[in-house]
Amino acid sequence: MSTAMNFGTKSFQPRPPDKGSFPLDHFGECKNFKEKFMKCLRDNNFENALCRNESKQYLECRMERQLMAPEPLEKLGFRDLMDGKSEAKDNF
Amino acid sequence: MGGLWLSGWWCISLGGWRWSRAGASTGAVEKVEAFLRPAWSGRRRLGTWTRLTRGPADPPRRPKSTSRFQRAQDEDWRRRNRTVLTYVAAAAVGMLGASYAAVPLYRLYCQTTGLGGSAVAGHASDQIENMIPVKDRIIKVTFNADVHASLQWNFRPQQTEIYVVPGETALAFYKAKNPTDKPVIGISTYNVVPFEAGQYFNKIQCFCFEEQRLNPQEEVDMPVFFYIDPEFAEDPRMVNVDLITLSYTFFEAKEGHKLPVPGYN
Repeated sequence: MSTAMNFGTKSFQPRPPDKGSFPLDHFGECKNFKEKFMKCLRDNNFENALCRNESKQYLECRMERQLMAPEPLEKLGFRDLMDGKSEAKDNF
Repeated sequence: MGGLWLSGWWCISLGGWRWSRAGASTGAVEKVEAFLRPAWSGRRRLGTWTRLTRGPADPPRRPKSTSRFQRAQDEDWRRRNRTVLTYVAAAAVGMLGASYAAVPLYRLYCQTTGLGGSAVAGHASDQIENMIPVKDRIIKVTFNADVHASLQWNFRPQQTEIYVVPGETALAFYKAKNPTDKPVIGISTYNVVPFEAGQYFNKIQCFCFEEQRLNPQEEVDMPVFFYIDPEFAEDPRMVNVDLITLSYTFFEAKEGHKLPVPGYN
């Protein structure tokens, strides 16, 4: 945040996160999922679009362990992944 | 015998004195004035002089010239002075009103143009649900981690950069370790560079603005779940923006120390 006296210039105003703060994972319960996600990123040259499954799994892990408020994954922007999963289930 | 004689003298002397006095005052002066008066008529009397200032009992001063043209010109000047005075007074009152109105107007202006990264309306969770990723606009997000001098944590990002597109939610990790032997409570804030892109950078969930406690020798992963608003791709000012830097800074949370938590300010 800018604390200098530059009155005319634009300054950044931080905004609070939409859903608040993640509780800390003190016991490393979701560490494996995190490692999988990081490995996927490193393999794919840090492209987020290719590692969305791993990030979804990490968030699901957090929700299971009460480290995140449970929420339908569509609301977290994973709708395309959910549709793909339900289609695969139907095909079976 | 002596006393009688003395009082006699008193009476004579008093009487003589009274007579002489009465007679002289009326007789001699009148004669002198009668002699002087005809020659001095119309001129200043003896013993008077002109006064340079106007006294209170003097008649009111008349204008220097009372010609019709002069009067018309005076009237005209007076009228012009009055209009100028009215305009100046109106301008002064207008300035005062403008200075009062400036505060809400500036707020409105900031909200509509988004200058200074102030809150732009319309960030609801259903927006996340329905947003469509703009796949042809790849943005590189780099991560930076800072720690205030008094906080002894090791705080660093776990990836140097990540490539996202607007409208796609992304996850990133920071790692923090408390190498001391005492539990330490930290609180963090963030910054986004460039400032104009900051209004499009939305965090769904992160670890900032709330106290986070780390036990001695503890190391934790801190995730940040964010997305870039799809309207970023439509903003003409963002055409040349391909790199966004997210920077977190941790401070030590002390008693009574209030981090400027964002809200409307």
